[in-house]
Amino acid sequence: MEQQLLSGDLAADRAALKALLPAEDILFRDLYDAAGTPFVCIFADVLTDKDLLAEQVIAPLQRAVTQQKMERVLAALRAPELRTRQSLAALADEVLAGNPVLLWEGGTDAAVTGQRKAPARAVTEPPSDIAIKGPREGFLEDMKSNAALVRKRLKTGELRMDALTVGRRSQTAVTVCYLAGICREQTVRAVKQKLSAIDIDAVPDASYLVRFLSDRPYSLVKQVGTTEKPDIFCAKLAEGRLGILTDGSPIALTLPYLLVEDFQSAEDYFMPPARATFLRLLRLFALIVAIYLPAFYVSAQIFKLQLLPVKLLLTIAGSIRDIPLSPSLEMLLVLLVLEVLNEASIRMPKYVGMALSVVGALVLGETAVSAGFVSTPAIIIVAFSGIGLYAVPNLIEETSIVRLAMLLAAGSVGTYGILLLTAFGLVYLVSTENFGVPLAAPFSPLVRRDLRDALVKYNLHSLKTRPASLNGPNKRRMK
Amino acid sequence: MKLSSRQILFFLAAVTPVGKLILMPPQLAAAARGDLLLPVLAQLPVQAALVFCVLLAARDGRTLHEMLARRIGAWGAAAVSAALALFLLYAAFVPLIEQKLLVQSIFYDTLPSYVVFAPFFVLSAYLCSRPTAGTGRLFDVLAPLSLFGMAGILLFSVGEADFGALLPVGAAGAGGFLQGARRACAWFYDAALLLPLLGRFDYKKGLAAKGAAAYLAGGAVLLAFLATFYGVFGDIAVIQVFAFAKMSHFFAGLTVLGRIDYLFIFSLAFVMIFYAAMPIQGAVQLAADCLPQSGKWLPALLSCAVNAAMLALLYAFNFYSDRIIDLFTGRLFFLIPAAGAASALLVLLLGRRRRES
Repeated sequence: MEQQLLSGDLAADRAALKALLPAEDILFRDLYDAAGTPFVCIFADVLTDKDLLAEQVIAPLQRAVTQQKMERVLAALRAPELRTRQSLAALADEVLAGNPVLLWEGGTDAAVTGQRKAPARAVTEPPSDIAIKGPREGFLEDMKSNAALVRKRLKTGELRMDALTVGRRSQTAVTVCYLAGICREQTVRAVKQKLSAIDIDAVPDASYLVRFLSDRPYSLVKQVGTTEKPDIFCAKLAEGRLGILTDGSPIALTLPYLLVEDFQSAEDYFMPPARATFLRLLRLFALIVAIYLPAFYVSAQIFKLQLLPVKLLLTIAGSIRDIPLSPSLEMLLVLLVLEVLNEASIRMPKYVGMALSVVGALVLGETAVSAGFVSTPAIIIVAFSGIGLYAVPNLIEETSIVRLAMLLAAGSVGTYGILLLTAFGLVYLVSTENFGVPLAAPFSPLVRRDLRDALVKYNLHSLKTRPASLNGPNKRRMK
Repeated sequence: MKLSSRQILFFLAAVTPVGKLILMPPQLAAAARGDLLLPVLAQLPVQAALVFCVLLAARDGRTLHEMLARRIGAWGAAAVSAALALFLLYAAFVPLIEQKLLVQSIFYDTLPSYVVFAPFFVLSAYLCSRPTAGTGRLFDVLAPLSLFGMAGILLFSVGEADFGALLPVGAAGAGGFLQGARRACAWFYDAALLLPLLGRFDYKKGLAAKGAAAYLAGGAVLLAFLATFYGVFGDIAVIQVFAFAKMSHFFAGLTVLGRIDYLFIFSLAFVMIFYAAMPIQGAVQLAADCLPQSGKWLPALLSCAVNAAMLALLYAFNFYSDRIIDLFTGRLFFLIPAAGAASALLVLLLGRRRRES
């Protein structure tokens, strides 16, 4: 479609822009310079810093003699961020993004002066990624602030921040960040291509983009990394990954994603390698136990009592003697109650949530056991499983479903069902790739060099190269 | 994407021995008693030589079907590929019966319903429809699991083994040795499992020799297992089917630690699932190579059909497992080694090192 350009007739251009921007919060302010040349300043009432606009645009303009010449207009303005646009549609987009636009009689270009002021909160520690040691800054909903948090940490010209717009109506600004020469160019191209191809009404959050960036969009398995912390984001860029900042979302996306990333924490790099290794293995252990324990417990009860040591078997036998439900139904019920409690406690207001936890944990749990609906071992197992899943919080959406599937397999086919389902999962995981990088690397395919910072964490001096799994052009990060 | 030569070596060294731990040890013990290592010692170099031949043929860089088509035309290639696929399905029958019996035996206190083994074929059909690169990546995971399971079971049972039971060597005589070698044939077709992978991995210098050495290394682990097996059970080894799941029971530490040996048993059982599915996967791959490239759904359909047929066959002979095993290790013992050797030599003749253009 041919773009409509500014005509130079101020009244006509003003009317055309008014037709494009009829909303009442879009203000059209008429101005005159010292020689009486008419101007129109158009800005979004709620998204513009009016003090700055007055100081950097209106006041200097009223003192200047511009003679309808663009160079003189631009020279008169004190705005540090100045650009010109000719198309009406582009000008409308700028206004909607919060950037004031200045038209003048005879001008076929308009000045975009950049006094954008989106409502933003202060930089705080993200609630989902708390660090005891290390930086506590978290991303905000404002993309410019997020970009500043990244730029502050990577003071290099190699840091590229390519801007894109996604969403037909939301016109959400998306920035693709990467370190040129370190990140694979094919990945950058492919990501930009995928983002440009998105045709959706609105993008309220970065998680909308995740589905479009995944090679298997219907998959249960996570294929895009997420973080709320700029330090982690920058570390991933430095490893050769690509990051995506989305306006309106405090969650930044990182690509390509490896499953092992979620077993690592930023703090692992701030503590001795032995401790970091221990914690990573502990997270893996907790996750495995959390997924498999309820399933194996049910399987042992129904199909293979020998799985349990004799003394434990006797204790359990005593506890489950009068339980009216089958082991699998009992476990399923307790797991569902846990999920309901979890969901409710997240959504509830803080103080009600605390009361709800007490009701859930004490009243429901204790009374259900004493009433003989469920057994004590089932409560203990589900409680441990519930806690264990949170050892790897970024995978909670996937692992809670897998746990449920394991339980169903165990209740119907037994231990063999658990093994078969695990085999299915393994085949699926090892054959999943995103942007040409296998999800299960560096374990499958085995990338020996990357094992130094996978589950086992070597000393920083041994981590001289970037992850080879990412296949970036620049391999060495330390001399 | 292709498999790496490392993945091939992992398969030969760590996955192939696991497929021989279920019914082969008691079969060998029944035939050769304390000399049960000798038939395996005879089989291993032969099979290693065949592995060498197949890997050497991989220098050609073509798939088996492409090699055949180049020499004998598309129809001839299809006929030979179909014959080799049938051979792999035939070879798959014993591991499938073993798997079914193993599942019914070690995962349940009481005999379960027949259908509990049926989901295996769903997994197998899924596996058959996945890209071959995925199979290679599986070996990266299965190899350490296999070593973990084997090492754990050997470690827990070696203290209870009386290796003196293996002496004197040669006590079973030539008859025992021959009988053992004959029975072992049903489990030695590993070189044939590499045929469908031809052209799907890059030959690197020395891979054939490394492959044969890796196979022999895996064989050494198998021999250690067999020796420990006979050392633990002695004369009653003959009736100890699924011995790998029982050998470590006697470890004294289990009374304190609980049944942690199940970790090793389940690890090996997990690897066995894939080993049992491999011949079917290979057969589907060989057949799929003959199909036109355009229909993506054709291999998936073929995979479902082949697995459904195997499921039907397995359950048709559900009550005749012992007789089938006897047939395969008895009267028809020669089929697997003959077809295995012929196919390996065939590809060696067909495969030529590609000249650099």
